[in-house]
Amino acid sequence: MTDVDWLSYSLQDFLMFGPQVFPRLFIRLNQDIWPWQLLIVPLALVVPWWMCRPAPALRRLAVWLVAAAWIGSGAGFLVRYFGEINWPAVWFGWAFVAQGLLMAGLGTFCRLKAIPKGRAGAFSGLWLTSVVVLPWVPVLQSGELAALAVFGLTPDVTLAASSLVLAMMPRVLLWSLLPIPLFWVLFSAATYWALQMVWLLLLPAATLIVFALCFWLSPSSARSRDRQSVHRDPVRR
Amino acid sequence: MAVRLTRRQLLIGAGISAVALKSPGLFADLADGTAASPISRTIPSTSESVPAIGMGTWITFNVGSDADLIESRTEVLKTFLDRGGSVVDCSPMYGTSADNLGKALNALQAHDQVFAATKIWTADESATRAQAESSRNRWGVARFDLLQVHNLLGWRGHLETLKEMKARGEFRYLGITTSHGRRHDELARIMATEPLDFVQLTYNVLDREAESKLLGLARERGIAVMVNRPFQGSALFRRVQSETLPPWSAEAGISSWAEFFLKFVISHPAVTCAIPATSQVAHMQQNMAAMYGELPSESLRQRMATFVRSL
Repeated sequence: MTDVDWLSYSLQDFLMFGPQVFPRLFIRLNQDIWPWQLLIVPLALVVPWWMCRPAPALRRLAVWLVAAAWIGSGAGFLVRYFGEINWPAVWFGWAFVAQGLLMAGLGTFCRLKAIPKGRAGAFSGLWLTSVVVLPWVPVLQSGELAALAVFGLTPDVTLAASSLVLAMMPRVLLWSLLPIPLFWVLFSAATYWALQMVWLLLLPAATLIVFALCFWLSPSSARSRDRQSVHRDPVRR
Repeated sequence: MAVRLTRRQLLIGAGISAVALKSPGLFADLADGTAASPISRTIPSTSESVPAIGMGTWITFNVGSDADLIESRTEVLKTFLDRGGSVVDCSPMYGTSADNLGKALNALQAHDQVFAATKIWTADESATRAQAESSRNRWGVARFDLLQVHNLLGWRGHLETLKEMKARGEFRYLGITTSHGRRHDELARIMATEPLDFVQLTYNVLDREAESKLLGLARERGIAVMVNRPFQGSALFRRVQSETLPPWSAEAGISSWAEFFLKFVISHPAVTCAIPATSQVAHMQQNMAAMYGELPSESLRQRMATFVRSL
């Protein structure tokens, strides 16, 4: 077996493709699936409303929609488009599909808490930022309107938005859903850095911020804080 | 020993001559008009001539199934061939590069115009033949001119199989590669003991480690040298981006930084060809311009290296 001096490699040495090719993936995907975006984007916009409703069936529907988004962006963008020019993207693609199936299963069999009323506005605001604002980052990078990164079709936007839904999962199950998103954030940040596509770094950065906020928004977080306050209430001693 | 020309060699030679005859504009800036043909070098093991500037495909041809980008790479290849190029190098490691090279060759109907070089890149030392056949299908060529063991990966097993394949006429030249200046000692040991026709290594105006041992050994052993990363993966262009060419570079007919870097490489007497990669026609034109006109003398080469190091 050969000795490999890994320290002699730079991040750029692992890049198999050039910066011209990456934005073209978004453009080609959008061209190939047009006009389905007109259905997918409005569907994404109703997720916060479903998540905040008391009816469990609507929350389940929202989780299924997000699970489908993971499967779509994994099998579509990552395996079919990105995987052609970058082998690790294929592995991530199937990991996204597995994560989508896992989320669908958890959404089906777990009882999901509704977003606490006081936090519905923050949840909706973050969700809409992820689904409406973040898609423009590749447009900003490439200068091509057709490079819009649509939720459910591309991984970074899907991940950023759906981390809010991950937060709705019971805390003990949440840990099983974190490794793939975290690995993807690392991988995509390293890729964009190596490509010197600095605007795209906003996507993993935004994902991490939303991730952090999702812990604050999650019902289990709210519940544990309520429980603390109950213990400290002198009236109830 | 009599050298029999194959149809492909004849076509490559005729192509070079045709470019020289049909493209006077290419040579308009030559000072004395005597060097109006592409600079070529001889492969020591057969005395066959090949143009001194070839084409690499790492990153540039890995564009997936993007029809627009495949078309633009086809234009790059066309420019390369129109300007007298023939040596094209690829590897199974380069993603879809081999597929897109095959599509470009097919679109141009240019399979017979290229000196087809690829690599064996697998740790499975029993998969040599299967990978060579897979690459041949992807390129769409009848056979490869050169098969090389990529980055010394599984070289013992692959070399044994490749020697058998070469003896049967399944390809013409045998080689081994390294890059980024890695594992030169091991490469030197292989060069000293194995019947290689080619080695591929990194050499440029800043990365000159190969000069200390490998280039001399290649001359001594009669091994052709193919040079990768002649622009240090485009880092050399970044280094000189705010600089103008020094006036003395005109002594070697140099009119662009691409020519500067490439002429430095191919003017080393042990170097057979350099294989820069590009995705742009304009850059390919600059690269190919380095294959015409004067080459720098040894003293000018030293001046070039000192100048770039000082930046």
